[in-house]
Amino acid sequence: MKSKRDLAGFLLSMPGVLWLTVFFLIPYLIIILYSFLTSGIYGGVELPFTFEAYTRMLGNVGYWQILWKTVWISMISTVICLGIGLPTAYFIATSKKSNVFLTLVIVPFWTNFLVRIFGWMVILGRNGVINSFLQLLGLAEPLALMYTPGAVILVIVYMYLPYMILPLYSAIEKFDFRLVEAAMDLGATRTEAILKVLLPSIKGGIIAGIILVFIPALGSYAIPDLVGGTNGAMLGNLIARQLTVARNWPSSSAISMIFLLISTLGLLFYMRINKVQSKRRLTIRESYMREEEI
Amino acid sequence: MIRRLSIFGILLFFAVLVFGQGNLIIYGWSDYIPAEVIEAFSQEYGINVTYDTYDSNETMFAKIKAGARGYDLAMPSADYTSIMIKEDMLIPIDKSLVPNLANIDPDVVEQMYYDPENTYSIPYMVGTTGIAVNANFVEVYPRSWKIFELTQFQGMMTLLDDMREVFGAALKYLGYSVNSTDPDELQEAKNLILKWKDNIAKFDNELFAKGIISGEFWVVHGYGENIFYEATEEELKNIDFFIPWEGSTMWIDSFVILKGATNLENAHLFINYILRPDVAAEVSDYLLLPSPNVPARELIKEEPVYSAEDLENTELIKDLGEDLRIYNTLWNEIRFGL
Repeated sequence: MKSKRDLAGFLLSMPGVLWLTVFFLIPYLIIILYSFLTSGIYGGVELPFTFEAYTRMLGNVGYWQILWKTVWISMISTVICLGIGLPTAYFIATSKKSNVFLTLVIVPFWTNFLVRIFGWMVILGRNGVINSFLQLLGLAEPLALMYTPGAVILVIVYMYLPYMILPLYSAIEKFDFRLVEAAMDLGATRTEAILKVLLPSIKGGIIAGIILVFIPALGSYAIPDLVGGTNGAMLGNLIARQLTVARNWPSSSAISMIFLLISTLGLLFYMRINKVQSKRRLTIRESYMREEEI
Repeated sequence: MIRRLSIFGILLFFAVLVFGQGNLIIYGWSDYIPAEVIEAFSQEYGINVTYDTYDSNETMFAKIKAGARGYDLAMPSADYTSIMIKEDMLIPIDKSLVPNLANIDPDVVEQMYYDPENTYSIPYMVGTTGIAVNANFVEVYPRSWKIFELTQFQGMMTLLDDMREVFGAALKYLGYSVNSTDPDELQEAKNLILKWKDNIAKFDNELFAKGIISGEFWVVHGYGENIFYEATEEELKNIDFFIPWEGSTMWIDSFVILKGATNLENAHLFINYILRPDVAAEVSDYLLLPSPNVPARELIKEEPVYSAEDLENTELIKDLGEDLRIYNTLWNEIRFGL
């Protein structure tokens, strides 16, 4: 009986396993392999095996600067997303029309990603909406809003904000607000109740939101390409550049591996926190059960 | 079940409709072959044409090299045509199927040192890269690469995001060959480009045409045809496109048939169609470029922005093989500070 269930489980998991093997594991193995090969003059890879792609990258300050810039821009964007997302999710979860607001959060996804970036370019451009308005007010010189790191952060925040709001919403929605009332009955101020009761219990949602924004932001390619300036390149642009213009596939692969490393660390962090949390939840449940037994 | 079968039947019907007449899949530059020309070809031969675009030779090459299949035709510039021949990525052209090849100016073919017999490549357009200025914003300016040094246009200019084009411009300005492999000359060019970099808004291949027309940019380094293709006649009045007096780069974009192409016959038909004088003239009228097609020159209605003679001061970008690594290193330093 048990082995039959095991077999069913095995068969049911096969499509997923197959999918991940073919579209994730094998491509990544190829990238790992390429990163240790020598670059051909016209692209492609050749023998012998070498660490050159890595040593050249690690020994070059420029790579570290771009890596740092990428992480920095992603972090700022994530923090801003959290700052906007938290009150928004709170508002939606406590609103009577939460379904309407949730739909509104999702509406931008109906428009193509690139079209939305171009939309921002229309807004931020030299002859764009903001500058035209400022000119009407009598500002002499149009502001250089586009082709700046600020523009990149703005568009990243705009693009990934829904990924912050949705997990926060689902966490806050499950939260029992009577706990806040109870805390306040026991003498906590409203701020204290939110900080010490609400926030800790929606921690899973916050971390999920951070991961969902931070990792795609790290991988930004089109946004810095279109609204970034002469020094706007992020890691994603560098990977593409090494693959196309420089025709250095090993270097491109090696940078991808660094990228994978950072996002894996992020996910491991998330899983660890989740584990700690579910363990704690388990012990609480156990203690309840024990009390009931008594 | 019956309903499901009938849906399947309808899909099959459309599939036959779409695929039955034959296909042609072209991987070409954006805004390069007028949609009207492709449409007319499609109508005339009953062939369904898919036109997929790229914005730099490098993108196209990397995609094909990495194993992209299904494209029949591509349109590399001279240096990449030469690379693709060396890398054995092309199928020889059956010249008996392209009788219109005789229309091509022998002077152009003479430039194609990498494929003198047109074994693998048939030229589509020949031209140069220049500077466009929006006269609404800029009144006095030098007709020289020096324009990128002028701080009064800071943040209003773009350079192409193309290593060979930008180095070509800098090398010409310094009086060297666009195919220089001398490390000192290239170092000098790099320092010049770094100076230009401080003055420009961005390195751009995609938006310079729209940008110069709308006034988002005042001075752009780019291909004239992209701008002319995009602008209305009214808008064109304010745009001055010129070849800097120091000279510039020259390019020859050719049709090549890719290994793995499945619609060989249609690919030949298309190349021959483009070389028909009336079609080549129509293309030139759209792009405002001089035609490499001799009989077509009689049929051109619009005055090209520069003539075939203007190209004398320009130099073809050649593949530099191993020496390209110097360019790569310097370009990485310029673009990424690596």
